[in-house]
Amino acid sequence: MPARMATPVEVGSITAPECTIVWSDGHRSTYRWGALRANCPCAVCVQRGGHPPRPLPDPLPALRPMQVERVGAYALRFVWPDGHRTGIYPFPLLREVLCECEACRARAAGRGGGAGPVLD
Amino acid sequence: MFRSPQAIDRGQVLAALRDVEDPELHRSIVDLDMVRDVRVRDGRVEVSAVLTIGACPLRETIVERIRSRLQALPGVREVEVSLGVMTPEERQALIGKLRGGPAAGGRRSPFLTPDSPTQVIAVASGKGGVGKSTVTVNLAAALRLAGFTVGVIDADVYGFSIPRMLGVTGRPTVIDQVIVPLERDGIRVISIGFMLPHADDAVIWRGPMLHKALQTFIQEVHWGDDLAYLLIDLPPGTGDVAISIAQILPRSHMLIVTTPQPAAVEVAQRAAKMAAKVNMEVLGVIENMAGFVPAPGAPPVEIFGSGGGQRLADLLEVPLLAQIPLDPAIREAGDRGTPLVLAAPDGPAAQAFRQVAARLAERLPARVA
Repeated sequence: MPARMATPVEVGSITAPECTIVWSDGHRSTYRWGALRANCPCAVCVQRGGHPPRPLPDPLPALRPMQVERVGAYALRFVWPDGHRTGIYPFPLLREVLCECEACRARAAGRGGGAGPVLD
Repeated sequence: MFRSPQAIDRGQVLAALRDVEDPELHRSIVDLDMVRDVRVRDGRVEVSAVLTIGACPLRETIVERIRSRLQALPGVREVEVSLGVMTPEERQALIGKLRGGPAAGGRRSPFLTPDSPTQVIAVASGKGGVGKSTVTVNLAAALRLAGFTVGVIDADVYGFSIPRMLGVTGRPTVIDQVIVPLERDGIRVISIGFMLPHADDAVIWRGPMLHKALQTFIQEVHWGDDLAYLLIDLPPGTGDVAISIAQILPRSHMLIVTTPQPAAVEVAQRAAKMAAKVNMEVLGVIENMAGFVPAPGAPPVEIFGSGGGQRLADLLEVPLLAQIPLDPAIREAGDRGTPLVLAAPDGPAAQAFRQVAARLAERLPARVA
């Protein structure tokens, strides 16, 4: 049977300075909220800026989501203060592409990439 | 006052009434506060009960259940049942109980949490016409025969066929905003076909309406806390309905139905690819319309070729759960509104469905009713 995707076992509070997700494979991901917003995978944002990961704006917008919801068994949805809520972030995107933990950033830098796909 | 050893009291009557379930809500009428008053005098029992709505289609069933339960008690000579209707406040309190009470946060469905005891199985196919709905109703019947409580959602909103195949007609009872599913041989079922003014009306909706309909089927229908398996008959392909199901349900599994011809394999594989993307586990493959046996003892004629089910199962690395023979009796039973598993449970095709049910019950254990 094919391997199942890693799923979050713990999602940190939206009041924390950054987003944290502990995965079923033990990995602990961290994200800047602004980087998550800038990498929204909804159809409108993809049409505007391409698929994530995208070059991040400098400075990053200082914001936090109003709400984080689980979508089925495969994704999270963030509800942003401007009302934007159409981005469904599949777990593999969060786990393998957008993770900004130290280890994932170091590996991405080693490959000469930005926040590109990183696998443990 | 003199009491014979056979004398019955109010407490015994109430204890007995606790065994009486509302036929639609599947909960004790005492727990649902539907028993308003009980009077006992010299073996004569008077029960005053209230119905959720005045036009309750099963009022006679409730009266009969109360009467037969109480008449079985020693010391009961006569039973009189009078029926009233709940006040709006009483009905709201009942809805609260059905939704699990305040502690449940007003949840409406037993399978909207990842740790739900209900096993949800979506029956999918790559292309249409492979007998997906036939598999769904027969599998539901087989699980019911095995002693499980089963629900069926007809999610093939444009091409609904479950009402006819299960022989279920009528409109679901609605208690405030809670919909009570219709029932056939203990199989609870909901379909858009029950909501249309005429059975032959067409559903001509775009995606958002479909999503809303499915949300209603899952969140607004009182499936009952005792549901062991919920089968969802998906439309063919990987469109709006399949995506909505994947987004609404936090935990579900998929069965893929295909026919034996190799050309169907590639199409069926797309359903599995979608399952992988939305993190739904594929439990296995069911090959429908396998060999046709023209006469008893004759070799099967492979009208739709052979090997497709096994090839798909190998590609997906999942088991081939059954090869259902192409048997006109399956179609005839569906047209008559009685799944073959119920009409002729011991025939070869019914046996194949029952074996799938047994394997599913082993793979996804659920409590027996």
